[in-house]
Amino acid sequence: MRLELGARIPRADGLSKVTGTEPYAVDLYPPNPLWAGAKRAGIPHGLIRGIDNARARSLPGVMRILTSADVPGSNRHGIIHQDMPVLADGKVRHGGDAVALVIAESRAALRQALEAIIVQIDPLPIVAGIDDALDPQSPKVHEERPEGNILVHARIERGKVDQAFESCAAEVSEVFVTPVQAHLFLETENGLAFLAEDGTLEIIASTQAPFRDRFEISRALSIPFEKIRVKAPYLGGGFGGKDGATVQCLLALAALAVPLRWIKMVWEREESMLAGYKRHATRLHYRAGALEDGTLYALDCRLFYDTGAYAHLGGEVLELGMEHAAGPYRIPHARVEGWCLYTNNPIAGAMRAFGVCQVAFAIEQVIDLLAEKLHIDPLDFRLRNALRSGDENLSSLPAADSTGMQACLRQIADHPLWTGRENWKSSASAHTRRGVGIASVFNAMGYGKNVRDSAIARIELMTSGEFMVTSAVADMGQGNASTYAQIAGSILHQNEGQVHVTQPDTAHAYPSGSSSAGRTTYTFGNALFQAAHELRNRILNRGGMMLFTEDDRHLELRPGCIRHAPSGRELPLSRLASLMRPEERVSLAHFVAPVVEPKPGTYEGLRIGFPHLLYAYGAHLAAIEVDLLSGAISVLHYVAVTDGGTVLNPTLFEQQIEGGIAQGMGFALLEDLLIRQGIILNPDLSTYLIPTSLDLPTMETSWVNGSDNSGPLGMKGVGEVAMNGPLPAIANAFAHATGRRIFQGPLHAERVFWTLAGSQCDQEEKR
Amino acid sequence: MIQLFFPLSLRELWEIRSRFPQSRLFAGGTDLFVQRRYQTQDESPLIGLERIQELRTTAWEGDTFTVGAATPIRQLLEDDSVQTLLPVLAQGLACMGGPALRNMATIGGNLCTASPAGDSLPPLYVLGADVVLHSEFGRRSLPIKEFILGPGSTSLRCGEILHSIKISRPPPGSVQWYQKVGQRKANAIAIVSLAVLGRSAPDGGFQSIRLAWGSVGPTVITSREAEACLESSPLTMEKVNSAAQTARQAVAPIDDIRASAEYRRMLSGNLVYRLLR
Repeated sequence: MRLELGARIPRADGLSKVTGTEPYAVDLYPPNPLWAGAKRAGIPHGLIRGIDNARARSLPGVMRILTSADVPGSNRHGIIHQDMPVLADGKVRHGGDAVALVIAESRAALRQALEAIIVQIDPLPIVAGIDDALDPQSPKVHEERPEGNILVHARIERGKVDQAFESCAAEVSEVFVTPVQAHLFLETENGLAFLAEDGTLEIIASTQAPFRDRFEISRALSIPFEKIRVKAPYLGGGFGGKDGATVQCLLALAALAVPLRWIKMVWEREESMLAGYKRHATRLHYRAGALEDGTLYALDCRLFYDTGAYAHLGGEVLELGMEHAAGPYRIPHARVEGWCLYTNNPIAGAMRAFGVCQVAFAIEQVIDLLAEKLHIDPLDFRLRNALRSGDENLSSLPAADSTGMQACLRQIADHPLWTGRENWKSSASAHTRRGVGIASVFNAMGYGKNVRDSAIARIELMTSGEFMVTSAVADMGQGNASTYAQIAGSILHQNEGQVHVTQPDTAHAYPSGSSSAGRTTYTFGNALFQAAHELRNRILNRGGMMLFTEDDRHLELRPGCIRHAPSGRELPLSRLASLMRPEERVSLAHFVAPVVEPKPGTYEGLRIGFPHLLYAYGAHLAAIEVDLLSGAISVLHYVAVTDGGTVLNPTLFEQQIEGGIAQGMGFALLEDLLIRQGIILNPDLSTYLIPTSLDLPTMETSWVNGSDNSGPLGMKGVGEVAMNGPLPAIANAFAHATGRRIFQGPLHAERVFWTLAGSQCDQEEKR
Repeated sequence: MIQLFFPLSLRELWEIRSRFPQSRLFAGGTDLFVQRRYQTQDESPLIGLERIQELRTTAWEGDTFTVGAATPIRQLLEDDSVQTLLPVLAQGLACMGGPALRNMATIGGNLCTASPAGDSLPPLYVLGADVVLHSEFGRRSLPIKEFILGPGSTSLRCGEILHSIKISRPPPGSVQWYQKVGQRKANAIAIVSLAVLGRSAPDGGFQSIRLAWGSVGPTVITSREAEACLESSPLTMEKVNSAAQTARQAVAPIDDIRASAEYRRMLSGNLVYRLLR
């Protein structure tokens, strides 16, 4: 099959993954590896009084037990804020803090040693959630911070909010609560490390950010940056949870202690739940108003994000949530104030739809409520207010040319499930109610202002006549590696199988950003586009010399060869490659994603990653059935229309949208990491549930025509946008079905049941 | 290192049992191995029963269906006679775990785990199943109600195994169904379940009915009173209301991570309303 853009090219990694032959980091077993594992605090807040290793050290097969005293360097890592110890020193701030690191000859010996270590901790009062964190009387999670438990406090403002509400004909005021969600990748956090004689540290890890990992390891452990090599094989899922160090610093520390041996670390599922990064729990206070004519006019909100014990990317998650708090709408008067707060809860960090799916739950129900008050159809109300190209968004900046929100909504408006929604509602059988709900969603693409969002692509014509792309951006399952082959192959006119892609290795690839933020295909892809063009021109020039043509006219690249069309002469690429010098066969190019300057005076306290130039957009529809006897919601049909610019591969596009919907449905209906006083009550897969295939509806995904003009590919990242739709669309469908609203996620059966029971009580009271 | 045995006959089993009296039995292991994950210190030997052929045999003799205790759930689901003659059991088994679990898990394992949430239990209660227990020295038979004593507790004596389950075929035309509310549609533990076996009356009511609730007490809950509410014709909303109300009083649910006791209590009554469909 010819590698062409827009074609349904099967994923290059599909066969090896479904047959189980693709080696993930967790599948790698160098000969005779040692096993490393962390002793976790188990107590959410306290002072370490002592660590008794005596019995553990005496167990057979136990090689070393390290504590914070053994950590060279700052013993702090973190992406923006270096506030997280590799091994806790003096204090533990959440139950998953690593207190000691064991290195053992076998996994069994490791487990025994971890059980035998006794950590004495004097408990401290716990900062259990948002209210505790806001209370100035509460203890400080980070005692050295003058700001107390406030990691970031920021504000976005436009227009005259307070006066604007006076003109509003309809006003809504509600408080929304969203739960902690776990990433639940199949492959838990894991990796391998080896310290060579020359001091080179090699790490192979399930990581989204191999290049940045080197900085984190280097700073935390005082290892020279240039001595660290990180390899990132295909990941068995990431979703943001492997963006930032998980096992990396611990493995590096183990390798420093025991050089010349491979050391392996694999987190158990429960350990991943305890110590891995999570989605932020939030509480969102919304007040919004609209004019009589249906113009969204004023918004005032206060957003609280619980970032847990360490910053990770919490501040940036809050900032992105704030940037999206008004939804994809024009609102002339808006104030969004946000707080990101330290608590003794599990660390919240990056997760697909990075702070955005929380505010989407709030604003999309607010929009429905305003429409209802004004007696306007909720879709018409959205169409009336949805951003168009050139409109000022919440950041007071003109929306980019590629702003397809209106087009997405219009597709939904014509959909039979929308036009026939009252028929759907009346088709409910006994003991059930049916309803249809919609949501407008958007998600920024790229790192945003103040972070260089760049990638360097390398492509080589190999002596075999095939091509090799050196990927620098990890593939966590979204299919970017496959897309890289497709991009290069489309420019070089090659077939499937003739363009290969290596997975990131900092020793061979060139520094590029992480696999995140919907920028994975965009940034590296645009760099690769240039590199492949340059190589193509070079090949044609050299081929033309060999074929004695006057210039490059009539020369074309074909699968495996160059062809001179008029004469029919061909030159195999393998022959050409053997005549080229190595450096000639390689092409490098870089791309830096465009950013936009924030408008002075419209914001305060947003330092990193604000604002964004480009967004993907979507309009979602959910048709649901509510079982009145149990409260269970079944989603029977789901429609998602997306504006992601040019679609490079419809199959991979659909996989991203469907995956986002599935994960979004987990967030909407099931997933809720229950934490009481810092302790996780459902730390395993029998109590923390995610949807199965039987829980997922028929999904219909489509896209709107359009192309982004900021890069030659015309595409925008769509990895995150779909995650934002299910919770608000289902909540709105529930309101259509029952007349009741739920402002706290997830909408699990028992919550729905009591909400409906409350409705009965209300009616009885009225009688 | 944990010793693991797979005897091929009962005689071999008794021999291994006598050598390792501390050993633990399993058939499928889908419960035991999950427990063991958290009991790393437990090194008692394990004996798998699933290769003993007579424990995997199913047979109809007249109106009695005998199921070997180590028969995998999937094998029962693929048995047409189970689907057509014992649909309440088939429905219960079909919502047990997911396909991979049903390939391994066995009906005897589900009974011996004796979880009040076990999906085979309420159907076997309404079907009035008997269990057949064997030991090296003899055999005995018990109604299932007397076999299950509480969570994780059965009346198996030392040296005894659950050999088979005997189920009588309900009269033709019986109403049979199983309803489960879990947190999701597969691989979920029941929050409440209800098995129903009834004989319809000509005017739409029930001549007789058996109801059994799962997950709302230490064992499966039955309520003669609730059944009696429904055993008169025709079936009216008032009768269903009183059956539901009686059921809510009969159950003894607890709060756990999956649901509150109060929700389970309400649900126990609500599921009865499905009879009106």
